[in-house]
Amino acid sequence: MTYIQNMAMDAKPVVANEGTVTFRILRGTIVGGKLVQKTQDFEVPYDARTTVLSALEWIKGEIDGTLTFRRSCRASICGSCGMYINGRSRLACKIKVIDLLSGNEHKNIAAAKDGVIEVGPQRNQPVLKDLIVDIQPFYEKVKALDPFVQDGAEKEEHVNKNSFEQVNMVSNCIMCGACYSDCTAMVENPNFFGPAALAKAYRFVADPREGHKTDRLKELSEKNGIWDCTRCAMCIDACPKGVAPMEAIVKLRSLAIEAGMMNTIGARKSTSLKGEIEDWGVVNEPFMLLRALGPIGALGQIGNALNLAKVGKIPSPFPFEHKPEKLHEISAIYKELKENPLDVKTRNEDTGPGAG
Amino acid sequence: MITPSGVWLSANMIQHDILIIGAGLAGMRAAFEGITAGLDTAVVSKIHPLRSHSCAAQGGVNAAINPKDDWHDHAYDTVKGADYIGDQDSIDMMCSEAPQAVLDLDAMGCPFSREDNGTISQRAFGGQNFPRTAYAADRTGHAMLHTLWEQAIKLGTKVYDEYFLLKITTDNGRASGAIVMDIKTGQLHQIKAKAVCIATGGYGRLFASNTNAMTCTGDGVAHAMRAGAAAADLEFVQFHPTGLRNSGILISEGVRGEGAYLIGKDGERFMHKYAPNKLELASRDVVSRSMTTEILNGNGVNGGVFLDVRHLGRELILERLPQIRQLSIDFEGVDPIDQPIPVRPTCHYTMGGIRTNKFGHSEQLQGLFAAGEAACVSVHGANRLGANSLLETIVFGKITGKDMVDFVKNREGREWPSVDSADVQEVSGLIAKLKARPSAGGVKQATIRHELTNAMQEYCGVFRDPEGLNKAMAAVQNAKADMENVFVDDKSDAFNTDVITAIELSNLVLLAEATVMAAITRTESRGAHSRSDYPNRDDANWITHITSTVKDGQIVLGRDNVRTLDNPKYAPAERKY
Repeated sequence: MTYIQNMAMDAKPVVANEGTVTFRILRGTIVGGKLVQKTQDFEVPYDARTTVLSALEWIKGEIDGTLTFRRSCRASICGSCGMYINGRSRLACKIKVIDLLSGNEHKNIAAAKDGVIEVGPQRNQPVLKDLIVDIQPFYEKVKALDPFVQDGAEKEEHVNKNSFEQVNMVSNCIMCGACYSDCTAMVENPNFFGPAALAKAYRFVADPREGHKTDRLKELSEKNGIWDCTRCAMCIDACPKGVAPMEAIVKLRSLAIEAGMMNTIGARKSTSLKGEIEDWGVVNEPFMLLRALGPIGALGQIGNALNLAKVGKIPSPFPFEHKPEKLHEISAIYKELKENPLDVKTRNEDTGPGAG
Repeated sequence: MITPSGVWLSANMIQHDILIIGAGLAGMRAAFEGITAGLDTAVVSKIHPLRSHSCAAQGGVNAAINPKDDWHDHAYDTVKGADYIGDQDSIDMMCSEAPQAVLDLDAMGCPFSREDNGTISQRAFGGQNFPRTAYAADRTGHAMLHTLWEQAIKLGTKVYDEYFLLKITTDNGRASGAIVMDIKTGQLHQIKAKAVCIATGGYGRLFASNTNAMTCTGDGVAHAMRAGAAAADLEFVQFHPTGLRNSGILISEGVRGEGAYLIGKDGERFMHKYAPNKLELASRDVVSRSMTTEILNGNGVNGGVFLDVRHLGRELILERLPQIRQLSIDFEGVDPIDQPIPVRPTCHYTMGGIRTNKFGHSEQLQGLFAAGEAACVSVHGANRLGANSLLETIVFGKITGKDMVDFVKNREGREWPSVDSADVQEVSGLIAKLKARPSAGGVKQATIRHELTNAMQEYCGVFRDPEGLNKAMAAVQNAKADMENVFVDDKSDAFNTDVITAIELSNLVLLAEATVMAAITRTESRGAHSRSDYPNRDDANWITHITSTVKDGQIVLGRDNVRTLDNPKYAPAERKY
């Protein structure tokens, strides 16, 4: 019966054969309508298999039943246990204590400072209790983008083996909120739809069965949409499922421009940037402002420009002052990209360097 | 607070025509029918719908879509896989409705994997004679669940997410609704309904090593039993052959469908000894027993054997099994491209559930319906075939949904049942008592859970014998006694997960007792129920379901006929793979 005994032993949440580690948990309760937070330390036994979630379960079961967090599948597929762990938004079930302690380059995890594991609630969302945040605003934004395939004129009747290549990239999303929590654009603009909702939107734009692709792109090009992303790439780092929401946003931008939706600051800025570099090899900011905002809008930026001038950062308004020596190399890059564009639609024949 | 879509009767009482408990695939599919028929339909779930455990199903969904396939063959495979005690009317209905049910999901936008000509791809699964498992890469349940959630948003389905079921209420032998707790505030609500559907999934958390989510605690099944419905087939618990050795996390049968080998400590395959024809793709009960036998005979390492995909090649692994690879790396530290994956049989699925007719309606409690893993329709009998569980959710979610609509529009369900606010007082009293119990002299819930689930694993698992089953029963009785003294640390109202897990544990204890009683009573080996003292199948005495009901607080076992059809192919025969 050794097998069965082994099974019983393995089932223990944590086995104390590799020492203990300090978990510093940011706890919170609502008192009189206000959130009151404080950290609390717990010494937790761990071994090579212990995840942050199994450690939290151990604390809740053995030390303090009031510790409150969401969890369900423990296999990084349900998205319940998104938390802020050692300075990043992660899934508690997916992160092992030993990786946090010693660092793991392969998993993009830095070693913990002072050997302490700090756990707090996700950010950019109201905290309800301990590690639980209010997920309603996150989901309201997803819902606002009509997250379902719609019939319409642009629906393609036939799908093939490659039809869902783009869809599959983003449909890995488990709505855990990690990207939303680490999004820097959200800090500046809480109304920004956020990476997960926009990735979900891309899932429909990329689906050949979707009937309203252009309408979606129009809607997404509006305020709080695809042009509000700062392209900081935090969402790509945060995503536990490799969805790379920012890539989806970039693809939506390309599709919007391709569809002629130039009537946004972001789209104009983006195309003028491309034009500047292609023509001159450098960015000429005043020219770009003029193209992106128009003459009136550009005037509005004079204040900013003066501030920049004060700290010596105002760029030269003369495009001919500095021109890179090897402009032909830049032209070659552009030529290559033109011939092998970023794969934003699934094309059967497209296997070139720009693909996916 | 509840935002009203139903009708408010008082501060904490609301009514809906149809109330569905559980927002996984079965519940959401049933809700779709209620809403599209124009009835006021609400779904209650203790977690957000997208967190439901349906999302963890990897391999796929069976349906005879291919013109070369035939649903009759699918039905035959299912009858045989069930070891001849599945209900044949339900099985025929499931298999004949399967292609349409899958195409429904496809039309809703589910991104099923495709062939070059646009048809839905299908792969081979265990215990079946045709590759009829449709899939969306290796995250089929996830893709299907997101699709049904998208439809719920499109239709504006009312979902009470993070509401916890505390009681199914009754009115003279009819289900009248439920008492639920708003987890965010701790407030109790009474929901009155003309039809109530239990779609709360299984109770695999009863076993220490399992593939299940921590929320799979059989709440709906336990509460339905307390309300007077019968459960059946509880002794049949499926141990999936390939859980990760350490965590029990699931490695899909689809991996074997793609050609993976099971190997022992010396790298040799062993399934030819047990299933010479189907090898690794024999039925799950057969493979789990074979692996356990190998491990007991010393051909394993640290309580597991290995699943080997190296010969499939890097490209196929990356294209078709990306998530499996990631799970192996994340939870076992093994990259399947280079090394075999350590696996062992792990509790995966509970064939038993609320006993219903083929439309998902309870025969004991009118107006109570059940669908999905929570139900015992019974299409799985003594052993479920891989990829028939996702199928069950979408076929019986749909059929049960339609039957609820008919019940409410045209049958006894036209009249509102009456509800009694005393039910709220009773539940509220139980919670107050639990919170008031001091820790001094009390028992920690973690201790009870640990002892119970380990005893179930050791004594009521892949192989069972009388001595072990008696030990399991003793552990259940201990747990029952300890639950009288269980205490919680958290006395607050908002998000009191301490109270919720204690109540979930009380549901598991009830199901544990009924499971062990049924396992002791069935003196034969059939499907997933394998008795070392009765190693053979006994068709003369045991082609029957064992039912469990709660009477005066005690579990009472009974029998219910297997519903058979006049089909000579379905006559019990020796089961060989």
